Amino acid sequence: MNEATQTVETAPAPSNPPANALAIHPLRRILNSTATWVFGIDIILMLVFGVISPDGAFLTSQSFQALGLDAAEALLLATGIALLLGAGEIDLSLGSNLLLSSVVGAKLIVSFGAGSTGTATILGVLVCLAVGATVGVVNGLIVTRLRVASLIATLATLGIASGIANIVAGGSDITGLPQVLQTDFGIKTELGIPLPAFVAFAVWLITILLFKSTRYGMRLLALGSNRGAAQRSGLRVDLHLVLLFGLVGTFAGLAGFIDLTRFATTNLAGHTNDGLAAITAAVIGGTSLFGGRVSLAGVLSGTMLAVILQDGLIVIGLSPFYQLIAIGVVLVAAVSLDQHRRPGGLRSRLLR
Amino acid sequence: MSSAAQQAPVLAARNIGKSYGHVRALHNVSLELYSGEIVALFGDNGAGKSTLTKCLCGVEQPDEGYLETPQGQVTLRSIRDAESIGFTTVHQDLALAPDLSVLENMFLGREILASDWRRHLAIVSRREMAKQTQAALEDLSINLPSVRVAVSDLSGGQKQALAVARAAMWSSAGILMDEPTAALGTRQSDIVCDLICSTAERGLAVMVISHDILRILNIAHRVIVLRHGQIALEKRISETSQREVIDAMVGYDERVRELET
Repeated sequence: MNEATQTVETAPAPSNPPANALAIHPLRRILNSTATWVFGIDIILMLVFGVISPDGAFLTSQSFQALGLDAAEALLLATGIALLLGAGEIDLSLGSNLLLSSVVGAKLIVSFGAGSTGTATILGVLVCLAVGATVGVVNGLIVTRLRVASLIATLATLGIASGIANIVAGGSDITGLPQVLQTDFGIKTELGIPLPAFVAFAVWLITILLFKSTRYGMRLLALGSNRGAAQRSGLRVDLHLVLLFGLVGTFAGLAGFIDLTRFATTNLAGHTNDGLAAITAAVIGGTSLFGGRVSLAGVLSGTMLAVILQDGLIVIGLSPFYQLIAIGVVLVAAVSLDQHRRPGGLRSRLLR
Repeated sequence: MSSAAQQAPVLAARNIGKSYGHVRALHNVSLELYSGEIVALFGDNGAGKSTLTKCLCGVEQPDEGYLETPQGQVTLRSIRDAESIGFTTVHQDLALAPDLSVLENMFLGREILASDWRRHLAIVSRREMAKQTQAALEDLSINLPSVRVAVSDLSGGQKQALAVARAAMWSSAGILMDEPTAALGTRQSDIVCDLICSTAERGLAVMVISHDILRILNIAHRVIVLRHGQIALEKRISETSQREVIDAMVGYDERVRELET
């Protein structure tokens, strides 16, 4: 590392431009950001699907509501994973955490026979959040206490949580949840916005405030940027990590509750890839996989990209499996473009 | 710093010893740091420089001997302990978070919260931190493009300067600097040396551990040379020479030179 710095220092010519790169106009920065680019692609895609779809069916308010509803759970998971990635950690278990939360929540709601909206809703929310938080905290404890890298720790809990969920559910999906969950929340719209989308969007906004304005956001980024420096600055690194894993797990629990209320049943087969999809969305939006760089705007645009492709392909009558291919291609393109544009990125590393 | 000698030392090591298993890293080392004085600590690899630094900044505890401040004997169990008696350390790796801005690095772990109700939400006041960072940098005549740029966009010399400024900001008694010029080119090294001088002029005791003997001899007031874990030479800068320092480092005795000639 010393040698690298020295080379830059003795050859002053290439070392100068980056210092001004961020000092330029803030508007320029926004226009240059990956999140903005992906937003642009989102809008173009929506227009394209709108034109291709029969009678412009993709650009109706009904279609937008479906988009919002489909984006809600994904947005929660991607928001969480972006925070963890920023702190230099990862959580692969979010999908099965969501599943476990929804299964335990459903089980309790059904067994309590909660007929009234109020009890069912409150019980469901609390149980889902608690299960999600617990799985998250367990992840955090494995990482900080047992010193297992989060990639491995959460790979383990991915399987464990999914196994527990299937055992608790008894091998088949739990049905018979009160319809009110669905009609009063899961598929209800207010002012044209589905309530789950509203909740997810609110969580996303609050997370931005937390991340941009509080000292926890700053410290989170420091953890991912230089763990040793964070430690030497007196931060209680392990405590921060456990709480962060817990918070992100809580997001997964909330997503689990939303899943229950949308479909009034659990979905044992459906969430295996949710965690990976969340990581994909966050990374497409410009969040670094290696810590220190988070784009919460990019989380929204990356999530929307996945959802627009998925719904759009269905509307124009193509197989939704094309979405998987498209997202994979976009992921590679986004990350590679990002590397090239960034000072200190791939290009400058090759030139060095 | 002629007046330095009359004051009580802001930090003194008294007969410090430290062993790792059978290896005696430090033996009977005593030294005193005075405010406003720059002490250069030289020594070959394995001479005990880094062990001594670790004992002084709280990373390690000596097996024998003790540390003393004007307030009395102290035991430093952590970097935080050292900071609480007014000593900060500039580590060789600088301990900066490259993705954070200059002001965020300056205040990491000691953030200033908003002065109104928002402080209860742990919302920070970047404006206030920017103001104080700016003032601290100007105080040491450090020129950075902006306190809001990311540290990764600074040059090596600017990063070093920032690390020194941060240490100076949070120190009330002294700064330990580990190889402050090792990663730098000639021009940046000179700038950092000026910076070291201005921190000392502000009344801080400065100890510089370095291999950059020529350059550091130019700014130091006193020289200490470690060899095999013991002090091989301690002299005021006016009473010694580069030759003597290097001889002390490698254990090259006067008699040997006489024999050779």
